Amino acid sequence: MNRQRVISLIILGIVLIFTTTQCTPQPTPPAATEATTGLSPAPTVEEPPPTSGEASLKEVFVYAHQTAFPDLDPMRSYSNDSVVTSNCYETLTFYNPPGSKDVLSPKLAESWEANTDATEWTFHLRKGVVFQDGEPFNAEAVKYSIMKVKEIGVGASYIWDSVKEIQVVDDYTIKILLSYSAPLDLIASTGYQAWMVSPKTYESESPEWYNEGNCAGTGPYTIESYERGSRLVMTRFEEYWGGWKPGQFEKIVFEISQDSVVLQQKIESGVADFTYGVPPDNIPTLEKNTDLVVYTNPSFQNLVGLLNTKKPPLDNKLVRQALSYSFPYEQFIQGVMGSRATQARGVVPKGMWGHGDELLQYNFDPEKAKQLLTEAGYPEGGFKLLMTYSNGDMDEQQVGELWKAELKKLGIELEVQGMNWEAQWDLGKSDPLNAQDIFVMYWWPDYVSPYAFLKSMFVTESPTLFNLGYYSNTEYDKLVDDGNILTGVDRDAATMKFIEAQSILLDDAVSLFFYDVNNEHIARADVEGFVDNPAYGHVVFVYQLTRK
Amino acid sequence: MRWLDYLIRRLLMAILVLISVSIITFFIARVIPSDPAAAWVGPRPTQDQINKARVQLGLDSPLWIQYWRYATSFLKGDFGTSVRTHQPILNDLKVYLPATMELVLASMIIAIVVGIPLGVLSGAYKGSLLDHSTRLISIAGVSMPTFWLGLILQLFFFAKLGILPIGGRISNEVALFSPIHVITGFYFFDSLIAGNWLAFKDTLLHLILPSFVLAAYATGLVIRMTRSTMVEVLNENYILAARVAGISEKKVLFVLALKNALTPTITVLGLCFVYSLTGAILVEVIFSWPGLGTYVTNAVMSIDFPVIVTVTLVVTVFYVLINLFMDLLQATIDPRIRL
Repeated sequence: MNRQRVISLIILGIVLIFTTTQCTPQPTPPAATEATTGLSPAPTVEEPPPTSGEASLKEVFVYAHQTAFPDLDPMRSYSNDSVVTSNCYETLTFYNPPGSKDVLSPKLAESWEANTDATEWTFHLRKGVVFQDGEPFNAEAVKYSIMKVKEIGVGASYIWDSVKEIQVVDDYTIKILLSYSAPLDLIASTGYQAWMVSPKTYESESPEWYNEGNCAGTGPYTIESYERGSRLVMTRFEEYWGGWKPGQFEKIVFEISQDSVVLQQKIESGVADFTYGVPPDNIPTLEKNTDLVVYTNPSFQNLVGLLNTKKPPLDNKLVRQALSYSFPYEQFIQGVMGSRATQARGVVPKGMWGHGDELLQYNFDPEKAKQLLTEAGYPEGGFKLLMTYSNGDMDEQQVGELWKAELKKLGIELEVQGMNWEAQWDLGKSDPLNAQDIFVMYWWPDYVSPYAFLKSMFVTESPTLFNLGYYSNTEYDKLVDDGNILTGVDRDAATMKFIEAQSILLDDAVSLFFYDVNNEHIARADVEGFVDNPAYGHVVFVYQLTRK
Repeated sequence: MRWLDYLIRRLLMAILVLISVSIITFFIARVIPSDPAAAWVGPRPTQDQINKARVQLGLDSPLWIQYWRYATSFLKGDFGTSVRTHQPILNDLKVYLPATMELVLASMIIAIVVGIPLGVLSGAYKGSLLDHSTRLISIAGVSMPTFWLGLILQLFFFAKLGILPIGGRISNEVALFSPIHVITGFYFFDSLIAGNWLAFKDTLLHLILPSFVLAAYATGLVIRMTRSTMVEVLNENYILAARVAGISEKKVLFVLALKNALTPTITVLGLCFVYSLTGAILVEVIFSWPGLGTYVTNAVMSIDFPVIVTVTLVVTVFYVLINLFMDLLQATIDPRIRL
């Protein structure tokens, strides 16, 4: 009996071990082994960390990051991965931070021009640039990069939808023909899916290769190692075309910590050099800390509440205007958001071209709301509205709760419904007469143009995708399209069109524009050269930084 | 042959459980309102992109065909692809499963080494100061919220004393200058095998706080369970007989009594182990531990259904096997359990 028991136990043990080892990694290639044995100290036990290591940690920039990197394939990535990819890959043009003289500056393209209706673009490429795999950067690589993104077709690949044909004029000149007008110079500066990649590597490697911790761009840093979900290390690309000066960082470490309190402890203790996403209530404490610098700047993201223009009672413009006057903007921002938000003015966030400082800004005015409701035939309110927002977003939820209290005073009952994004979006895409009354969501530009806001959310659309207030106005549509065509050739004229379009939206009160989100980035005080650039979100271009 | 019959019967049952679980999770994941094709494309999909992805992912075929395709490729070792990250799920599991296993094993060892002796002693010296203080420890362990305990320990050992790391599996110094060559995925073993002592020490230091926090609940439970069965067993006549026969108290407590008192404790340990595989979410989040809990939470938040289904299945496999293992272990230790 006993022996049988023992046998059974052994069999089970083997099965258990088998299932476990099925899921353990294969040995890494010999290169990694070499690195291990080469760099680890002699196997004497109680040796402290090598002093040379301590010294070189100064040349390492540590970014404590809140989320993992879902996909590092440069052709597919459309997420926070850009904090990594932006240090490895480069775009043809670069979007300058707000306050710069020009909107764009040259990157891999030294200059560019368009024909009069912005349907033909010529880019003159930088010479002497090499990819990290040793291949030269040239017109063929540009053609490959753009066409491949279009072919794969995920993420923001639609930014290239206008591209009809790409002609290689010579090694360093490329001509791009469009099927309709588009500001290709702006599109080429995008922080997603506008990266120039080495055709040789992209053809020979699978998407998994990138997610095992590899990259092959023209940028200043390349990925050295990647422990999925916890740490990514980048190291200098010595042949970078920009060259290297003393004081620039040798390596970048991205450390992933999901907990916001942990992020704060890391930046306070100096374990990390840069972070964002710490608990908002603790920002004032961090601001007082002389070891830290808190950068508070407008992002290009804003929070909107699209009103259902097809369904009564919100199909009535007066009721929509009344709602626009019923939200306590200032009180909300002061009480809940603090320095994390600025009250929005118009659709286009402050700091972005196309933002209108003269546009109408609705303020909290319950008297006026009451008066408008009376005019519309609802003096006592007496109707019910459904507001949907994305589950788990505390700020959106608090917008709903506060607004609910104010609307109650006007006799309007607001149901605040948190849903997961997919369900919220599905409801939004269904028949407008059965859909929500107010759709709360964040919006941000895929490429930095007012068009990204004005087109997707408000231009007549069928079937519905993101025009979730179902707004339709031919005059408005025309202004936005005209503005877009002008964007490529005459940005001032385009701005005029976009501002005019926005004033129509504001008069029609098609949406509540709650606030523009501010980015709050925190860096150690000894890190110099950081410039907040909302066009690239939370990206830090480490090449520009030095340590004091 | 009763043991082998039993084993085969149990294994067949296990397969049935796995099939049922896979069917249930697969279909539940597909009836909730979400569009995997849209998730595949990204946050701002166009209709064209969604249609293309739907065909590419095979979502245009009937549900039962999709299930069949999923089940057959699962058996071939292809666990599918995450719709959020476009990564083969197997590649993710290779990293996240060993990370969690390392943490859970460490915490189980703590629960056993600390919990069982304390349980035995407080059972033996019922009503003593030791018993009361142990009760305090175990109640605290069971009832303290892990996230709170974790943050407090971090604040104390990292922020105040600066002797233990705040989280992660290894420090930047080791990752940069003395990296671990991954073989098993258990950094503890990998650094030991390679003789990479710096990394070994670093791994241990990183394990201390999260494994203690994760062990708190299990330890409390083990103490209580061992104590109550010990109290029961120590009243049995054979214990009295052993004492009369002059057998040393140490042997009476830790061999004669414990052997019979261990059965429920083993069940509890088995359940704790499997529960911790995905139940360690809060500990993993607070200690930036790249494990299964974090992985599956992110998947649930973004309705990444292939990941949810696969992780559920993998955990079910562990659950079934460990349960079976514990059942047989009990029967081996305690002859009263007849199969």
